[in-house]
Amino acid sequence: MVSVKNLSKSYGNKKVVKDVSFEVQKGEVFGILGPNGAGKTTTLEMIEALRPIGSGTALLDGIDVAKHPHKVKQVIGVQLQSTSFYDHLNLKELLTMFGGMYNQKVHPKKLLEDVGLSDKAKAEVATLSGGQKQRFSVASALVNKPKVLFLDEPTTGLDPQARRNLWELVQKIQKQGITIILTTHYMEEAELLCDRVAIMDAGKIIALDTPANLIGALLKKGFKKQKQVRQADLEDVFIDLTGKDLKEGQ
Amino acid sequence: MKNDLKTVWALTKAFTKRYFRDKTALFFTFVFPLVFLMVFGTIFGKNSGPSFDIALINNASSDFSKQFVESAKKGDIFKVTDVTDFAKAKEALGRGEHDAIIELPKNFGDVNTAGLPSGNVIVYADSGDTQLSATLSAVLQGTLDGINNQLVKIDKPFTYELKPIQTNNLSAFDYTFAGLLGFSLLSLGIFSMSEGFTGDKKAGALRRMQVAPIRAWQLIVATAINRIFIGIISVVLMYLVAIVVFDFNMRGDYVSFALFTIASITCLFGFGMAVAGWAKDGNQAAPLSNLVSFPMMFLSGVFFPRFLMPEWLQSVTTYVPLTPVVDGFRMILTEGRTIFEVGAQLGVIGAWTLVIYLIAFKVFRWE
Repeated sequence: MVSVKNLSKSYGNKKVVKDVSFEVQKGEVFGILGPNGAGKTTTLEMIEALRPIGSGTALLDGIDVAKHPHKVKQVIGVQLQSTSFYDHLNLKELLTMFGGMYNQKVHPKKLLEDVGLSDKAKAEVATLSGGQKQRFSVASALVNKPKVLFLDEPTTGLDPQARRNLWELVQKIQKQGITIILTTHYMEEAELLCDRVAIMDAGKIIALDTPANLIGALLKKGFKKQKQVRQADLEDVFIDLTGKDLKEGQ
Repeated sequence: MKNDLKTVWALTKAFTKRYFRDKTALFFTFVFPLVFLMVFGTIFGKNSGPSFDIALINNASSDFSKQFVESAKKGDIFKVTDVTDFAKAKEALGRGEHDAIIELPKNFGDVNTAGLPSGNVIVYADSGDTQLSATLSAVLQGTLDGINNQLVKIDKPFTYELKPIQTNNLSAFDYTFAGLLGFSLLSLGIFSMSEGFTGDKKAGALRRMQVAPIRAWQLIVATAINRIFIGIISVVLMYLVAIVVFDFNMRGDYVSFALFTIASITCLFGFGMAVAGWAKDGNQAAPLSNLVSFPMMFLSGVFFPRFLMPEWLQSVTTYVPLTPVVDGFRMILTEGRTIFEVGAQLGVIGAWTLVIYLIAFKVFRWE
């Protein structure tokens, strides 16, 4: 579905993406992990036709991104890392407007229902909580029924409940057969959601495999955690105490 | 192409909805120009003859003097303030509160030896203002002549009669109104863009739009259509106020007026679009907007007529984009010209439109 070969990008003399290559199969959830500044977002934005490709090629559903950026945009959905929506328009109106840009009839109600925002149809984005905003952002990326959905750090800044809620949403979308490429800082998130992950550092992919294989390889090297692994951690305590349900006053 | 235009239409609808919910934008587009119109209309709107602020000291007690004062108060020419203290009145005159002081002496209106009321009106006026003194003397002379004629019937061999004729001479308000229309379209086209559009850009809302297969021209055209629509409403409101409040005399036809309005706002919006499309945020857009719009305001006859400028400046400012807008409005509204008779103006507007939109498309940035 997505095929990236030797993708590179420089800003001035600084190479931020170096020879990145990977393939993503149809229906897969593919994770790109890495510390801040590793080049994750730049890589994504080149594939999304939002940034000119420095060198190398990116094919998406067989379409060359560099040659046909607009054709690519027709078949992808994108959730930007930090995004903003027009004010003075409610969620329903925003979705209708986004649909208009793809010349597609949208069903705002259905989309909002899918992300659990039915009762917010008449609200403006500014009144949403962090988690609701992210879910709306996902809904807006689905208006054109994309073949590939890009999620750039979808859970950064969310509370544990909202994160779990978004994970469920991602799994639901995967079940609809949509290919998903996401970036994250949270390893448990990658382990839970991703079929395969690429780990990036300083613009390069330094590992690419299934989470299980990557863990297995590390163990094979004789790695042992310094601390005794406990059966629960503080997050489990937090969830146990505050419940799994969303805390958004709805 | 058809689908591209559908996108433009979807955006136009969304933008227009937004605009009508944005209270700040509404105030500055609709209310602000009206306030301007009221203020300037009131200043320049009075198109009547001369009138004088008079401080009146009446020392006389005759019936004639009372009648004289009453009839002076009734007319439009004198605005009479009764005073008793000459020194205070003189002080007020010095401050410009009065144009002149008129004193009626004690014996004013007393019956003279010929059996007729008589008297001498004393007028004090600033010795420096000769024009005022002359006009006031003429007016008083005319008034007294009228009274004299009634008292003493004489057949005058020579008389004259003044017959006013109607011309297309612009009244001060007519002149101001065309300028204010130009001014409000300029501020709608430029200032509403430098605030709102760059705000969306800085927040990242435009980048979110860019994710979709949309091209810059679609966004620009959709915003332009939105502003043309808003501009028409604003012009209609101003026109109604001009008609209702200031008795504006519309001599042109509405089709020409509408077409010319559309051409004007399209052109002026291009400048706002070029600035806001290029600028990264309001900090860049605001000074650039001022740089573009202030010369236009002062050089294109919005607030004072261009024929007051030296000739070389007049010929240069013919090509300032706002000049043909203001001139065209003036020609259509107050001279009754049709859209075909403002070809020269439309030519300049068209040329600017072409140039500025090419620039706007070229320099547009999404973030």
